[in-house]
Amino acid sequence: MEEVKAYIESGILELYVLGQLSARECNEVEDMANRHPEVRAEITAIELAMEAYALDNAVEPSVDLSDKIFSKIETANASAPAEPKIIPMYEGSNDSKVKRLKYALVACSILLAISLGALFSAHNELNVAKDQILALNTDKDQFAKTVSKLEFDKAGMENRIAMTETSEWTTVKLAGVNKTPAAKMAVYWNKANKNVVINYAAMDLPKADTGHEYQLWALVDGKPISLGVFNENSAEAVKQMETIQKAQAFAVTIEPTGGSVNPTMEKMVVMGAVSI
Amino acid sequence: MATSKKISLSEEELVSALKRQDTIAIKALYDMYSGALLGVISRIIQQTEVAEDLLQETFVKIWNSSANYDASKGRLFTWMMNVARNLSIDKLRSKDFKNANKNQDIENNVDFIDQQKKVSFNADTLGVKELVTKLKPDLKEVLDMVYFKGYTHVEAAEQLNIPLGTVKTRVRMAIIELRKNFN
Repeated sequence: MEEVKAYIESGILELYVLGQLSARECNEVEDMANRHPEVRAEITAIELAMEAYALDNAVEPSVDLSDKIFSKIETANASAPAEPKIIPMYEGSNDSKVKRLKYALVACSILLAISLGALFSAHNELNVAKDQILALNTDKDQFAKTVSKLEFDKAGMENRIAMTETSEWTTVKLAGVNKTPAAKMAVYWNKANKNVVINYAAMDLPKADTGHEYQLWALVDGKPISLGVFNENSAEAVKQMETIQKAQAFAVTIEPTGGSVNPTMEKMVVMGAVSI
Repeated sequence: MATSKKISLSEEELVSALKRQDTIAIKALYDMYSGALLGVISRIIQQTEVAEDLLQETFVKIWNSSANYDASKGRLFTWMMNVARNLSIDKLRSKDFKNANKNQDIENNVDFIDQQKKVSFNADTLGVKELVTKLKPDLKEVLDMVYFKGYTHVEAAEQLNIPLGTVKTRVRMAIIELRKNFN
């Protein structure tokens, strides 16, 4: 109670009635007034005193002022409705349209996200597929090479078998010379028509570099006669060379591409004598 | 309006009429309090014309801001008085008012003084005037500043070079003196 008395006597209530306090201080006073009836009573007493004082100090306004004020308030009342009317930017029907469009937008966004995901995974799969195709192509090329090599070899082998099975053909085996001990080759010579045939399947010669190829020679009575040139890059497994009526031996030399008139003896790789 | 019967309503009736924007409220308020409010305004702004403009502004503001009045916080008149005081103090401190005052010519001054006298010799206020005059000079000085001249109590303390607490005490003492007379 002492506290309330001191509060009343502090003079703050007078300042409250005179509108001298800040909003925060006003809240404080109102709080006190709500909790203590004495404070409320004191405020009312001060208010009544100030009111009576003001009434006693009244200054009568000019007679025409009241009409001015009423007409001002009435026109203000008529022209400005108390509640400002809120006009929506869009009509109600448009609201639902906007809502629908919003949903559509959300749906589109989701679809776009899914599509992008699908596209990305498809792209990845496509890359994998491309790699696989590449690998398969390499395999296929490998197989094709192998097959063509096998066919080439098979044609040669068939020819060799055919040659050996008939008595028409003589097989002349050419063996490596000093410098090329591993080299070997077979020359097939038809006894009837004197055709000379070589078979790549029955051939193992040292490699000729670019600019050089092999040249087959027949030794006839000590003289070399060219039977033609051949190289490693043949499409056919069996190659027909020049015919020769008689020969004591065959030899192969490595000559500049196109062949030479006379054999380069030091470039001889294989040689073999006719055994008949 | 001056010739018709004056309207007088109870505080509660006034508040509820004002809150529902019934024009009868403003008519009743005018009949009951226009003089008291113009008295308050005239203490701060002496020129009758300006004071009456301010009274008009005060009623328009009371009408338009009635939603801001909270009956639980105080009496309606206290709120109206503070509306009038604040508008007057704002006017007093406004640039155009200060400039207009500087350029006041003699004719206006004569008017001004006449009006001051009219106020001074208002028979109704004579008793109070005497009372306020009877207040001890230090109480009167502070009450004049805070209530009539539009000073805040902080400004009054600075102007008089006394502690804020003393200003508060003196305002209280002055109002207690008034209460003895009116209550």
